[in-house]
Amino acid sequence: MTPEFLLSAIIFLPSLGALILSFLDSKAVDAFRIGTLVVTAVTFGLTLMLWSQFSYDEPGIQMLVEADWVKTWNIYYRLGVDGISLPLVVLTGLVSMLAAIASWSINKQHKGYFILFLLLETGMMGVFLALDFFLFFVFWEVMLLPMYFLIGIWGGPRKEYAAIKFFLYTLVGGVLMLVAMLMFYFNTGGTTDSFNLIELAKVASGTSETLTQTLSPNMQITAFILLFIGFAIKLPAFPVHTWLPDAHVEAPTPISMILAGVLLKLGGYGIIRVAFPLCPYGAAYAAYALVAIGVISIIYGAFAALAQTDFKRLVAYSSVSHMGYVLIGLGVWKIVEATGETQNSDMWLMGINGAMFQMIAHGISSAGMFFMVGVIYDRVHHRDLNKFGGLMGRMPLYSGLAAGLFFAGLGLPGLCGFIGEIFVVLSTWNFNPTLAIVAASGVILTAGYILWALQRVYLGPEYRGPHAEDIKPIEAREATVGVILLALAIVFGVFPGILFNVMEHSTAELVEGMKLGYEQAASQVSTTLQAMR
Amino acid sequence: MSGDSLSKWLMIAWLLPLLGFVVEIFFGYYSRNPRRSKAAAWFAVGCIGTGFICSVIAFTQWCSMTGAFDGESGWLAARVHAHDADDNDADDNDADDNDADDNDAEHHDGHSGHDDGEAKGHDSDDSSPSDAAGAAEAPAEEEAASDEAAVLREGGHLLAVAEDEGDDHSHGHDGPKGEFSGVIYTLGTFGGITLSMDYYIDSLTLVMFMMVTLIATCIHLFAMGYMSDELTDDYVDHFAHTADGKHVHRPGRFYRFFAFLSLFCFAMLGLVLAGNIFQVFVFWELVGICSFLLIGFYTERKTASNAANKAFIMNRVGDFGFLIGLMVLLTYFGTFRFGDTKVDGEVVEQGLFSMVTRDATGNFVRDDITGEVLLTDTHGHALTEGGENRTIPYMLLVVAGLGVFAGCVGKSAQFPLQTWLPDAMEGPTPVSALVHSATMVAAGVYLTGRFFPMFVQEVLLTIAYIGCITLFMAATIAVVVTDIKKVLAYSTISQLGYMMLGLGVFGWGAGLFHLVTHAFFKSLMFLCSGSVIHGCHHEQEMPKMGGLLKKMPITAITMLVGVCAIAGFPLFLGLHFSGFHSKDAIVASALAFVNANPTHFLLFFLPLLTAGITAFYMFRLWFYTFWGKPRDQHLHDHAHESPWIMTVPLLILAPFAWLCAFGGEQGYLYVLITGNDPSHLHDGVQAVTTGGLTLPGHEAVHAVHSQAGWLAMIAAFSGALLAYLLYGVGIVDLDRMKAQLSKVHGFLLNKWHFDELYDSLFMKPAHKVAAFCAWFDKAVFDNIVHGFAKVGIVIAQWDRVFDEKVVDGFVNLLGDSTKSIGNSLKVVQTGRLRQYVMFIVLGVVTLFAFVFTTFPS
Repeated sequence: MTPEFLLSAIIFLPSLGALILSFLDSKAVDAFRIGTLVVTAVTFGLTLMLWSQFSYDEPGIQMLVEADWVKTWNIYYRLGVDGISLPLVVLTGLVSMLAAIASWSINKQHKGYFILFLLLETGMMGVFLALDFFLFFVFWEVMLLPMYFLIGIWGGPRKEYAAIKFFLYTLVGGVLMLVAMLMFYFNTGGTTDSFNLIELAKVASGTSETLTQTLSPNMQITAFILLFIGFAIKLPAFPVHTWLPDAHVEAPTPISMILAGVLLKLGGYGIIRVAFPLCPYGAAYAAYALVAIGVISIIYGAFAALAQTDFKRLVAYSSVSHMGYVLIGLGVWKIVEATGETQNSDMWLMGINGAMFQMIAHGISSAGMFFMVGVIYDRVHHRDLNKFGGLMGRMPLYSGLAAGLFFAGLGLPGLCGFIGEIFVVLSTWNFNPTLAIVAASGVILTAGYILWALQRVYLGPEYRGPHAEDIKPIEAREATVGVILLALAIVFGVFPGILFNVMEHSTAELVEGMKLGYEQAASQVSTTLQAMR
Repeated sequence: MSGDSLSKWLMIAWLLPLLGFVVEIFFGYYSRNPRRSKAAAWFAVGCIGTGFICSVIAFTQWCSMTGAFDGESGWLAARVHAHDADDNDADDNDADDNDADDNDAEHHDGHSGHDDGEAKGHDSDDSSPSDAAGAAEAPAEEEAASDEAAVLREGGHLLAVAEDEGDDHSHGHDGPKGEFSGVIYTLGTFGGITLSMDYYIDSLTLVMFMMVTLIATCIHLFAMGYMSDELTDDYVDHFAHTADGKHVHRPGRFYRFFAFLSLFCFAMLGLVLAGNIFQVFVFWELVGICSFLLIGFYTERKTASNAANKAFIMNRVGDFGFLIGLMVLLTYFGTFRFGDTKVDGEVVEQGLFSMVTRDATGNFVRDDITGEVLLTDTHGHALTEGGENRTIPYMLLVVAGLGVFAGCVGKSAQFPLQTWLPDAMEGPTPVSALVHSATMVAAGVYLTGRFFPMFVQEVLLTIAYIGCITLFMAATIAVVVTDIKKVLAYSTISQLGYMMLGLGVFGWGAGLFHLVTHAFFKSLMFLCSGSVIHGCHHEQEMPKMGGLLKKMPITAITMLVGVCAIAGFPLFLGLHFSGFHSKDAIVASALAFVNANPTHFLLFFLPLLTAGITAFYMFRLWFYTFWGKPRDQHLHDHAHESPWIMTVPLLILAPFAWLCAFGGEQGYLYVLITGNDPSHLHDGVQAVTTGGLTLPGHEAVHAVHSQAGWLAMIAAFSGALLAYLLYGVGIVDLDRMKAQLSKVHGFLLNKWHFDELYDSLFMKPAHKVAAFCAWFDKAVFDNIVHGFAKVGIVIAQWDRVFDEKVVDGFVNLLGDSTKSIGNSLKVVQTGRLRQYVMFIVLGVVTLFAFVFTTFPS
């Protein structure tokens, strides 16, 4: 299988599956379930094949695909993969497959559900693999609609509210991205490479051969702010995070897994793939804001989680808190005012790697946590933290798996959550000691809300809520999902090098490119200033 | 032989318990009859026991590599034997390492020989300290000798400094620099920063390994007996109640207990083996979570799960500080490693310890201009970056030190984070013995000792004061507590305070010496208390006991050994109890420190006083429990001595608790611990500024050793005597005394009100802030979003009006007019074909006419 074909196959295989499913009789429930599982499993296999063909030493884009699409508007079908997108592609494949296993618990309108589910996977894969800005945008929006329906139809009691809230928030982000995209298109003369993300990044760092225009510092700042708001909504960062708790609480379990496991990463990926390389000067300009927002997200999210009585809401707020680390890690770009040089850029590199790792780690641990909430919800049909207790005795295997996954979320060493958090936090002192200390204090709050939740749900002498008679031990299907996630949490927690080896060259190249870009823009600024004098 | 095989043995010892954990938890869950099988326990014992053997093998290898026992001239043997030749009484011996005044020719020769040997060993591979010492070396040992030279080459920066700048900086060590460090695997590389899993092996590591594995093996054995009532399908938990007031029934969890114990051993050994401070942090947290799991072992009990949460969260408060320390270290030093990384004897990457250098006064070398502390290479030359010297501000070195120490405060339950440890006694007693007295809580002291070369005076003073406050406070509480395990818990806190104090007043060896002796006698005492609790059917209140000496003689006698050890009693013939030596060493260091810095007189006075209090409360415990008449006849009648599997560990540990420190500071244990002590200890540190601290060198400590020893002994004896009078003989009515001192008694009984303080200071505000954040989300952010939505709806409504009235109106108008035109055209629709044809012809002609007139060719 040629690499070029592989990339397209990863994106469109789920759509093909959806097409086939649409011909089936709507009563063939098991056919939908198994069909979806097979399609997602094959897609996951393809992503693993992609990993095996990936060359670790190559920092740039690999397996580039380029084909005409809408030539009049210089829109191309450009795909490719590098060390930054590869882990996320594999994660998407994995989480989708596990969510498909978790989708056994869906109990109405199976046909529509599974078709939308597969379309959603196409959208997600597309975003991670697209290298054409317009294509990126299209996949971004493609993802939105299935998600809207999946929450709005198969969700909980307030599903309509949650779905529309999710939709509107994300749409606003999309619009801002669209504006920024057009800014780049017209600022680079609207030529064949004006939507090419790789070429645009080279323009920003002044190394492009096909595009001669430069991106003015002011334009970079404006574009960065637009893009950042768009991606921050998805991340989600304080204060545009309020769609998340509602969406999570109302979404069915597998959709929560995808939402937390993959969709949130799109925000971080957008920043690192689009906003950062295209506007290095804007990124440097806004670095402090990024880190500050990240720190606030961590603390605010953790406090909010501490106050929740709904189990799923608690996990949702923990996502807000954990994704704050991603922002911090990306933003710790310390530039010495006097010289314009990057201070201790290894620290920033470490922060970016930590942020990337945190995205993967959170994808594993939060998907696991949401799944664990779903397992108990399927049995007792409530999520009130004060009406659980004693599950350790009644469902020992389930409780053990859940405790492991929650510990991963808590950032316990040896589990994946720790690596991302600690590397990000360690890189922060170089940027700003005060913010670093505040960020580090998050470890106390995180321990607080997670342990308290574990105590209320799993420990104690007996179960205190309704439907006590329905509490059955965990099924093999459910245990499979939990075991896979926990095993990965341990593997990545003990051997983080597996991921860092994939990323290190690409992130290093990103850092170098951005430093170049910043210097170029900064020299532009100083010449302007001199001219004014 | 090289560092590789040494590290392999230790790694086996480290990883075996992990294997144990995995096997026990899986087979425990899946095997057919996990509830009644002792297989898990035997497997756990096997793992940790093998671990002990591996540690001993590693130790012997290390000894032969460093030439510790090469006849009379082996450094370890030499140091011990040299003093055997002297009067064996420790109090009179002040000739330890002091070259200049040493009259003992044999010792002197051996000593200087070593110095030469070190220098030569560094120069060439052919010479060895043993050769240089002039001992008759058999040719067969040539290979070993060159190995030793290789070892010395690994020996760190000190030798390099000595070689470079003459003998001034070689502080007259006659110990080996047998440190081995290396990489296990890499976690991640970011440009010039590499984070990895390393090992760092020196004499302290080996002592800790042997101590932990030996004690853990004993405790595993004991636990097999203690936890045997879990070997059932229907365990009745008398301390957990369901809503209808019944006891909780549950399946036994014997295998799970041993799985957790194994996991703990793995984490603890990993902590000791760790070769960088980041790795210490990793295992630091892991022992924390094991402690959490073990404290909360009785998950059904609310008190247990509360205590577990409290322990973990309070530790995290300390770890928060630890994290800040890590951030500073990485930012300025760019590495976490302790030791240097070497390839073929060449330093390729420096560790933390060699990046700061001390000058002749014992202070860090600073930059002349900025006054910041210089980062140096292994030869003491400043490292540069971009043409400028690499430095770290002195304040940040203080911050880093305090940060790391904050972690130790949490882990070792020091003031102000001490409140979790007494609550941790909710866990089963073997856990209290292993985790919460002997090993994990001592990890804080271990790390303080390990990281000692990086601590500056301000940090050391803080450590000393924290230790001092802790040891006094905990001891006062221990006086009034009546729960047998809680007395021991407070005593643990107090003793850990002693260790911290010892380290803080520059008694590095003394602090770590006490760590090891304490581990033995405290684990012994905890196991004895466990035996008592087991024998009394889970009664822990001492006022209900009494007179148990006859019922459980082995327990009582071994307990008495422990009590004498902690009280620090001397005995004839030099067979002093271990605590005598180690506490003496601490008190002597404190006295020397106070002599040098009279303003800090409390640092000697409080420990001395507390030595008396310690003896008092420990003998109180013993007399309360084993002496006198039974206070609860029913309990007494059913009390029994524990089975052999529980008493054997007591009998193993008792001799260690008594004699492990044999020889005191000239004994094997102390010499071994201090084999790789930080280089600046010997001569102390002189104050450079007027307000600065002077830290006493060995000489100063030896000068006051006998004085301090006598004072401590008097304090201990008077404390014990008082306890005997009050609890053994009963000369006063204790209840009346309690009533008279009710205010003090209540204050102490409420643990100085720390729980209430923290509750109102931190817990409640945290929950308030949390509630506020949750409210803020709903009330503010959501309302803003809803506001936007409402604006949108209003606009949409206006849009609708516009649509309906204006746009639709126009369209409707158009439609209506079309309709009326149509109606009016109805008249021409006659249905007659000829008429239609005429219309068509007319139309075409008109069209053509229009086209041709408008666009003439």
